[in-house]
Amino acid sequence: MLIDKEKCIGCDECHPYCPVGAIAAVAWEGGSVSEIDQAACVECGCCYERSHVCPVDAIYMPKLEWPRCLREYFSNPNVTHPSTTGNGRGTEEMKTNDVTGRFTRGTAGVALEMGRPGVATSFKDLETVAMAIARLGVEFEPDNPVAELMADTKTGKFHEAVLNERVLSAILEIKIPVGKLKEVLAAVKEVSAKIDTAFSLDLISRVNPDGSTPVLAIATEAGFIPRPNAKTNVGLGRPLFEEA
Amino acid sequence: MTHTLHRQGKDEELREDFVLLLRTSRWVNHEGSEEKMRGIWEVISHYEKDIVNFGNHNPTWNDGELYDMEALKRAKSRIIHVVFKDREKLKACLKEIKERDFGISAVISGLCGEAEKICSEIGLAPHTVNYSLGIHGNTERVPEGEVLEMHTMCGHAMVSANLIQHLIGEIDRGRTTCKEAARKLSRMCDCGIFNTYRAEKLLSRATPNRPR
Repeated sequence: MLIDKEKCIGCDECHPYCPVGAIAAVAWEGGSVSEIDQAACVECGCCYERSHVCPVDAIYMPKLEWPRCLREYFSNPNVTHPSTTGNGRGTEEMKTNDVTGRFTRGTAGVALEMGRPGVATSFKDLETVAMAIARLGVEFEPDNPVAELMADTKTGKFHEAVLNERVLSAILEIKIPVGKLKEVLAAVKEVSAKIDTAFSLDLISRVNPDGSTPVLAIATEAGFIPRPNAKTNVGLGRPLFEEA
Repeated sequence: MTHTLHRQGKDEELREDFVLLLRTSRWVNHEGSEEKMRGIWEVISHYEKDIVNFGNHNPTWNDGELYDMEALKRAKSRIIHVVFKDREKLKACLKEIKERDFGISAVISGLCGEAEKICSEIGLAPHTVNYSLGIHGNTERVPEGEVLEMHTMCGHAMVSANLIQHLIGEIDRGRTTCKEAARKLSRMCDCGIFNTYRAEKLLSRATPNRPR
């Protein structure tokens, strides 16, 4: 996002709308106008069409070239992500698992929502985490838009050109056998001390007929305390996926 | 994606914060789902006075923080979000959706124990669960307290911590009310998952010395 200094009246109304604090007042022709720090801006559109906060329409979106356009794809949920043709930055994950069968019994899903909540992230931090868990032979979700940014999904190495791009969030999604969960969570714990950003951690599992899941005890043993809230797919989708 | 999963707060606060999500799968049952999704909106409209917020991620605002329910009943929806503060109303709505047998995947996002009980009470069996294992990494950079609780009501981070803090200041200075500020915050969340009711209570708690 950019601000037309000739139009800006220096009211500062747009400043709090920025999720990453990228807008500040700067001296201009004997007065003050607002300016967006281009290194920090994640192109989310909060100060622009989402809020319509500018009283003089001084804020505008320039044409974003590669790789800067990634900032908008991953930060503005109203923008269609070209690699997935869907909005947002993730997948259907478990929300439709009753019909897709993406997570079957014996498998677990782990997602690291990098940059959430409210911190934002660079793809450099994603690469650090991806490479740490890729060593365990995990498979990154190919439908997640992060996958196409990797130069090598076996090692978790990203393309050099994208590493310094910043986004509000991007999600590393993997699916693993439940038997591998403990070592993956240990690797997540270890690498979490080596990054500049924060992340929210998700753990997905099929529910057993008795209402239990095989993953909770493993997570607890690995030092992760599940929060009291979760997402529960209640199995109303049709046709129901039939597991072999 | 998981934009409703990591809502923060104490259990008693989360008891007033449930999101019901319904969505088609682009791979399996999206094609031909338009009438079913409209049917679901029609069921949800029976609870319009009970629900806190709702939306389908395609802005059709009703000149405020809420979507236009009548427009949604005619719209093409791939995903439906509804926020409840009362688990009994959520249960009643979900039961009606179940009985209509739309065949669209449904997810309860909220207190895990309550979701299990609701399923049991209306004859459903939880199929898959997504647990929140909390926030990790450089957590010193994460907002705190009421600001974090409100910020995480929009997992896409469209409700910025800076805006929440700004509005807390405006309330303290008597320039706006908790109700107006909650509406202003909710307006930033196109998905319709922001719990405006709970935000108003949190803003009230964050501004004990505000002018009355």
